[in-house]
Amino acid sequence: MTAKKSDLLQGTLDLLVLKTLMPGPLHGYGIAQKILLTSKQVLDVQQGSLYPALHRLEKKGLVSSEWREAESGRMAKFYALTRTGKKQLADELEEWARYASAINWVLEA
Amino acid sequence: MQWPWQKVETELEREVRHHLESLIDEYEKQGMTRGDAMRKARREFGGVDQIKEECRDESVWSWLTQIGQDVTFGWRMMRKTPAITVAAILSLALGIGATTAILTLADAVLWRTLPVPSPENLVEVLWESKDRPQGLYRGSSGSGFPDGAMRVADYFSTVSYQQMRTALAGKAEVAGHVSSTLASTSFAGKVAVARVRGVTGNFFRALQLQPFEGRLLVDADDNPAAVPVVVVTHRFWSRHLGRNSTVVGQAIRINNVAYSIAGILPQGFLGIVPGEETDIYAPLLQSPQLLGEDSWFRKASVTGESWWMQLIARRAPDVGENELRNLLDMPFSSSWMARPKSPEGTPHIRISEASHGLGSIRRTFGDPVWILFALVSMVLVVACANIANLLLARAVAREKEVALRVSLGCRTGRLMRQFFTESLMLAAMGGALSVGVAAILCKLMINLLPRGFDGMALTLEPDGRSLAATAMVTLLTALLFGLYPAWRASRIDASPALKEGAGSSGTASRRRWVPAKILVLVQVSLGVLLVTASILFTSNLNELVNRDAGFERAHLLLFDLRPGELGYKDVQLRQFYLNLEERLANVPGIVAVGLSRTRPMQGGGYSEDVKITGQPKGVSSAIHHSNSSFLSALGVPIIAGRAVTAEESRSGAKVVVISEDLVKELGLQSPVGARVFIDRDDLLVVGVAQKARYSRMSQSPPVAYVPFDYARQSATIVLRTAIPPLFTLSAVQNVVRDLNRDLPFVDIFTMEQQISRTLQRERLFAWLCGSFGVLALVLCVVGLYGLMSHTTARRTPEIGIRIALGASRGDVMGQVMREGMGLACAGLVLGVPLALYAVNIAEKQKLLPKGDLPYWTLAAAVGVLAASALIAVLSPALRASSVDPMKALRRG
Repeated sequence: MTAKKSDLLQGTLDLLVLKTLMPGPLHGYGIAQKILLTSKQVLDVQQGSLYPALHRLEKKGLVSSEWREAESGRMAKFYALTRTGKKQLADELEEWARYASAINWVLEA
Repeated sequence: MQWPWQKVETELEREVRHHLESLIDEYEKQGMTRGDAMRKARREFGGVDQIKEECRDESVWSWLTQIGQDVTFGWRMMRKTPAITVAAILSLALGIGATTAILTLADAVLWRTLPVPSPENLVEVLWESKDRPQGLYRGSSGSGFPDGAMRVADYFSTVSYQQMRTALAGKAEVAGHVSSTLASTSFAGKVAVARVRGVTGNFFRALQLQPFEGRLLVDADDNPAAVPVVVVTHRFWSRHLGRNSTVVGQAIRINNVAYSIAGILPQGFLGIVPGEETDIYAPLLQSPQLLGEDSWFRKASVTGESWWMQLIARRAPDVGENELRNLLDMPFSSSWMARPKSPEGTPHIRISEASHGLGSIRRTFGDPVWILFALVSMVLVVACANIANLLLARAVAREKEVALRVSLGCRTGRLMRQFFTESLMLAAMGGALSVGVAAILCKLMINLLPRGFDGMALTLEPDGRSLAATAMVTLLTALLFGLYPAWRASRIDASPALKEGAGSSGTASRRRWVPAKILVLVQVSLGVLLVTASILFTSNLNELVNRDAGFERAHLLLFDLRPGELGYKDVQLRQFYLNLEERLANVPGIVAVGLSRTRPMQGGGYSEDVKITGQPKGVSSAIHHSNSSFLSALGVPIIAGRAVTAEESRSGAKVVVISEDLVKELGLQSPVGARVFIDRDDLLVVGVAQKARYSRMSQSPPVAYVPFDYARQSATIVLRTAIPPLFTLSAVQNVVRDLNRDLPFVDIFTMEQQISRTLQRERLFAWLCGSFGVLALVLCVVGLYGLMSHTTARRTPEIGIRIALGASRGDVMGQVMREGMGLACAGLVLGVPLALYAVNIAEKQKLLPKGDLPYWTLAAAVGVLAASALIAVLSPALRASSVDPMKALRRG
């Protein structure tokens, strides 16, 4: 299988997921709520599209998963950053900062 | 049991459910009704199945599920075109199977090396001369064969052997052996007939074999005064000695002489002659042939006049074959008792590479195997052409499907994989079937091969390497042509293909069939060759089998008895044979009892020069040492004079009956009463017998019938019966059992069976060629039919228009027939010179008797192929002519 073209949205979603997992493991629902909350509900993403991203990240080895009991008492699949995930996040954040500042620079020039 | 990919699936479901339930809880908390909350949650989440699908694509197991899809889809496509699928699988199975079987035979005969360390250093020592060496030796035992102008022979004298062995010390180990012989053995009370070969003490050192158990023979064993020992093969040990390692050191009786078993040979070692099944190796000077009461071999072993032993040598790695030949030539020529009479008759050493073993099977089967190999490769080409054609036809038929898939966004890689999977499935099924085909063919070949009576036994099991080699060729074809549609798809524009509909017409689609037509052309022309070959070889065999033998072949029973090996001596032997003659003659249904030294129709035999005074050069003639009623038992009429009488025969009178062709060759005017000389014996000719075959249906040498020696160790008994010969069997067995309970019967056959055994080579050849012909015919018909039915199916709308515009059914049919038959005829025309060329080669290799060009056979082959082509084309043509124009046009 060839890797899918990484359009902006997809790349961004992956980055958001990784960033959300930085503080600690979280299940899919939790990740979705947190992204909605932190993005102040601006990002209008269907919550389900989170899962392909999570599975993709897991396949790449950036996150790992395990089944645990959630705060609601139900069993949920918790995702956590792996070591490579953390490194990838750091790299991508840096990349993002450069990109954003470049855009800013062009727009403000 | 839950598979990993199923686990991913259910986990995903649980995950999604958890998410939805959490959302619903949240919305309920916000005060919504349960129903509203559920609806909103679903909306927020998005399409569950779509997301699942996306997740599946991300799964580690996605490739596996996709392969599953490919296989399922492939299976469905194959079932949609069952004719093509079955034809392709059968083509694959027959092509691979037949080729593997032939390769296995070729491997067993030509390519398998002896299981000894560095077999490439083994050589067979022979000698060659332009003319028959005169005066160098008195008697000889061994085999010879012509090679161009040279005569090559494998026999040497004791003196030559010893001088060569001494002279070559350090440079090569020269070892001797004599051809194996059947002997009666008895071990722990169990009797068996075994094949024993006498070898010099250094024989196993030359082969560098290590014993499986005990020890192998050494120089000290090869001495008339030594304690007699033998080594046995692993096979003999397993079959007849109970597979027990305690046999080492125990006694085994061979022809009533006690030997001690010194050791057991390693398992893989089956002998130095491919196809020969030697069971026991005895020291040369103590081998059964030398221990006989009046053994010619024993006398030969102490003089330089008789050339009787065969040589094998292992050269040191740094001694080349040329060097070895020169080194051997010197001691060889100094060992002769006399100087050669002519320079042409001076023998020189000839070295023959022996890493594959020695012997005649390679000489008699070597060339035929290559020819079979050539034929089978042609069958393979025809089979591959078929597979290619069928897959091409399918590719064209699926153009629309492919175009649709491409336009729906299927990537070429994915498409390739789909077609690859389908081809692989076809190939796998064909390949699996081919293993069975190869196994059946190998079994059949073993049954058709010479065995037993002259010690030939090949182990033919479908060989992994051969199977792999053939499978590679065929599978490559399947894959190559299977991928063709995908390759095309990557470069064709999808829209015309979609628009074209079911039936495309016009020049563009005609060009598309060009490769397929070329393939059919090749198939048909090779088909001509293969069918011609099959007709020629089967009719040749038929002719050989039904050829006049010169004697009445029905109602004859043959068997061998070997009383000498049970300890009978001179007078006892004589009494035994006399009793046997008398009692057998009294068995009801038996008309005449013949005794002979040589078994008729067994191949081989004895030949001597027959001379008359005044003519120094003799006529090489076959010798039948036979009793008085042998000729009447065999059914050979006496045409002048009389037969030898019983008294003359029993007293060993110096009389002889000669065949009419011998009379002619000797140039005798009045043969009866003439004197002839055979090996220093001066014999009176008392009668002339009609021409009859001696040991083979394919040859007919002149024959001299000299009196049977009643002190012989063994004899062939020839019974002429008035009733079907097998009906006398139990009475015959009772007679022999009455004479001696322990005497085993050897090779009981009727004459018909005996004759068919000598024709094994021809039979094998005819059978294989015949089946190749049938195979080629079937493949050609399938190929032509496949192509024609596909082209016409694709042209249905065009044909519909033609019919609608007024073309008659006959016109349409004629057009399809013309096209198909035109193709077939072009192939037939191309095939004729090809077939003639092949016949020429077969005649040169002496596989076929030289004759006029086989025009009738060729015509028959062409006729058969044309008729088959007609049948193949007829059904598509009929289908085309019955096209309903309305339906065809609507469909288009």
